[in-house]
Amino acid sequence: MSAHGDMIKVTDGIERVVHWILAGSCLFCLITGIGFMYHSWSFIATFLGGPYAMKWMHIFSGLAFAVSFVYSFFMWKKDCQFESQDLQWVLKGGGYLWNVKDLPPVYKYNAGQKAFFWILVACAIVIIASGVVMLNPLYYPVVMARFAYMLHAGAVVLLGAFIVVHIYLGTAGNPGTVSAMLTGYVSRPWCETHCPRWLADRDSWKPGGEKDVA
Amino acid sequence: MAEYIKLIDVTKCTGCRGCQVACKQWNSLPAVDTMFTGSLQNPKDLNYNTWCLIRFDEVEKDGKLNWLMRHDACMHCETPACAKACPSPGALTKNENGSVVHNPAYCIGCRSCIVACPFDIPRNDKALEKMAKCSLCHDRIDDGKKPACVTACPTGCLTFGTKEEMLKAAEKRAEKVKGVIYPANPHYETHVMYILPGTVGVEDFSHMNPHPKMPATLYWWKNLFKPFTLIGIAGVAGAAFLHYIIKGPHRVHEKKEGGE
Ligand code: SF4
Ligand code: SF4
Repeated sequence: MSAHGDMIKVTDGIERVVHWILAGSCLFCLITGIGFMYHSWSFIATFLGGPYAMKWMHIFSGLAFAVSFVYSFFMWKKDCQFESQDLQWVLKGGGYLWNVKDLPPVYKYNAGQKAFFWILVACAIVIIASGVVMLNPLYYPVVMARFAYMLHAGAVVLLGAFIVVHIYLGTAGNPGTVSAMLTGYVSRPWCETHCPRWLADRDSWKPGGEKDVA
Repeated sequence: MAEYIKLIDVTKCTGCRGCQVACKQWNSLPAVDTMFTGSLQNPKDLNYNTWCLIRFDEVEKDGKLNWLMRHDACMHCETPACAKACPSPGALTKNENGSVVHNPAYCIGCRSCIVACPFDIPRNDKALEKMAKCSLCHDRIDDGKKPACVTACPTGCLTFGTKEEMLKAAEKRAEKVKGVIYPANPHYETHVMYILPGTVGVEDFSHMNPHPKMPATLYWWKNLFKPFTLIGIAGVAGAAFLHYIIKGPHRVHEKKEGGE
């Protein structure tokens, strides 16, 4: 037995680092963006050293978000490809809404996680592209610049709501999950519940089961 | 405090540009080198250091040549698009006297206002990273004076007074010269109004928006997406909490004995 006992490695170091750069920059942008959007919440800007400082923080955090987003896209897009069983999983509410006995066995990510990934991709593309326009709005036709401001805010409505779902399901909603993004290890029963097909595959690759297969 | 209107009677403008100079002087705006470009209009456009500009157009209509001179500056909107777009509290404020005033101390140079303005008025000062535009000389108004441009105007083209007075005067004058009052959109009120000669249309003037209104994108951004950002986050957080207390978290099935 390794130092991790009967724990199974589900993410590697680079995945966790990129995840947290993406998550941290995204949350920071969300909070500073809310500080810009609601004048009544100007204490956020005051706390960060004034709106001018916050403007540049938002821009640099947005840059970190953009870079880590592009990396994550190529890192996770294969794992997040939909397959035919995903429809079954969705029709059963993923077992989250009512009691379901026979959920189709999931490979690495379930349909909900995959959907979150693609929603993130769509929103991030809109937010990053419009953000680039907003950096120098006078270089573009005015109609285009006006749409950029609108779309930047519109995509955040969607992404902001889905981020809350993601945080809940990754922590309180699914006990034992958060360690996948902290230490990288989860328990064997967790894998049997959440990614049984992937676990079976993994066991067949490495009979000892404690090596790096994530 | 009374609400004021600046009335610009284009039929009386001789293009002397006294207003343009007075504006520069009162607001201590730096001079710029200009070039003759074949038109009376000089400099070519509004700038961070040119808050009011006499625009010049030559228009032929019905075989008659018209020389159009128009004083162009901030319209001081009743619901200013610029202030609605601005992210920095205090950078753009609408005052009771009707003026929309920019305070550079709070401006962060994001240029949202420039994009939002239906009249394309605000300009960017690259060196300072701040926006700049006409303030209707709100400091003079508060002191019982008229804006500098109005004070300088020798022909009576520019007049300034309370809203009621000016609306009445505008109607009377428009009737007399068979002109039109601009802007005519009752849903987009401004504290600067024009009387345009009836012989030409709004479209004949350069840099004039024939249908001024709040940009629809700004409406979606500020009236819909803005509240829904927080409603969405709070709503989903509430739903997650209800899920936790009603359905409960999704626990891992322990198949084997002696599991953790
Ligand atoms: S004309 Fe433009 S800059 Fe002036 S108050 Fe209206 S929206 Fe603001
Ligand atoms: S440039 Fe200045 S005045 Fe204009 S929207 Fe940005 S902070 Fe406000």
